[in-house]
Amino acid sequence: MNKKEYLEALSKLLRKLPKEDREDIISDYEEHFAIGLEKGRTEEEISKALGNPKNVAKQIKADNMVKIAQNKPSIGSIIGAILATMGLGLFNLIFVAIPVLVVAVIILILFVAGFIIIFTGIYWVLLPFLHLIIPQLAIPTFINSPGNDILNILVVVLCGIGLTAGGIILVVLMAYITKWFYELMIKYLKLNLKIIKGRERDF
Amino acid sequence: MNTQFKKGVLELCVLVLLDRKDCYGYEMVDEISKNISISEGTIYPLLKRLKKERFVISYLKESQDGPPRKYYKLTDLGKEKKEKLVEEWRNFSIGVNNLLNSEITNNLGDIKDE
Repeated sequence: MNKKEYLEALSKLLRKLPKEDREDIISDYEEHFAIGLEKGRTEEEISKALGNPKNVAKQIKADNMVKIAQNKPSIGSIIGAILATMGLGLFNLIFVAIPVLVVAVIILILFVAGFIIIFTGIYWVLLPFLHLIIPQLAIPTFINSPGNDILNILVVVLCGIGLTAGGIILVVLMAYITKWFYELMIKYLKLNLKIIKGRERDF
Repeated sequence: MNTQFKKGVLELCVLVLLDRKDCYGYEMVDEISKNISISEGTIYPLLKRLKKERFVISYLKESQDGPPRKYYKLTDLGKEKKEKLVEEWRNFSIGVNNLLNSEITNNLGDIKDE
């Protein structure tokens, strides 16, 4: 490609730019060719070293777009941003805050239930011994036939062990769910932050 | 090399060159091409952007041979930007070099282990 072809190709690619900008750019490349020729390079060499006019034009146009976006925030885009941010707030309140609160309460209740189950289990396991010390403590009756007291106590202790184990499993499970839920919330909040920040970020 | 990466480096090079003395476009292309391979055409869009961002200003100056040339001069804002980019580049290259060197020592370790 010689000088004329190169500059024509570039000019054609930049036809959508304001005339003033385009002429300014073309004059830069003309100068580049002129100096290159003075230094003894050929037009072909210079065009090759300059690189594809398409890439040059792409870069100029990209810079131009960003410039417009940064410098001229239209009223429409501002209103859009405000509405979007408000909408995000409302969305968070209705669709996120309330379910989050409900889930948090459920998690709390299940935690409390888990601990109650554990303590009941331990209490039942210890009950036969406590009964010996404080006879007023009643042992729940599972097997209601006389003479089977020992068997009944055994059942109570076994139930106690079962309850303790079940309660521990519930609490551990809840701990995992809480952790997962917490991470999910953090992720969601970060996403929100990103969306809001994204509007201010210059690109 | 990755073009996005090169673009950032090119900006740094141009600001550094202009901090030393006022240059015209071709001069900078020449100077940079001596050290790294670039597609020369990308410098003019870059200069245009730097001008729009007020990091540089341009003026025409007569040359002994041929028509006047467009010279670029760094503004105070441009100097600040240059300092910032140089600092960033230093930290970046130190980081990358550390990484490369640590890989080498690891490899040596592996060889020793064998």
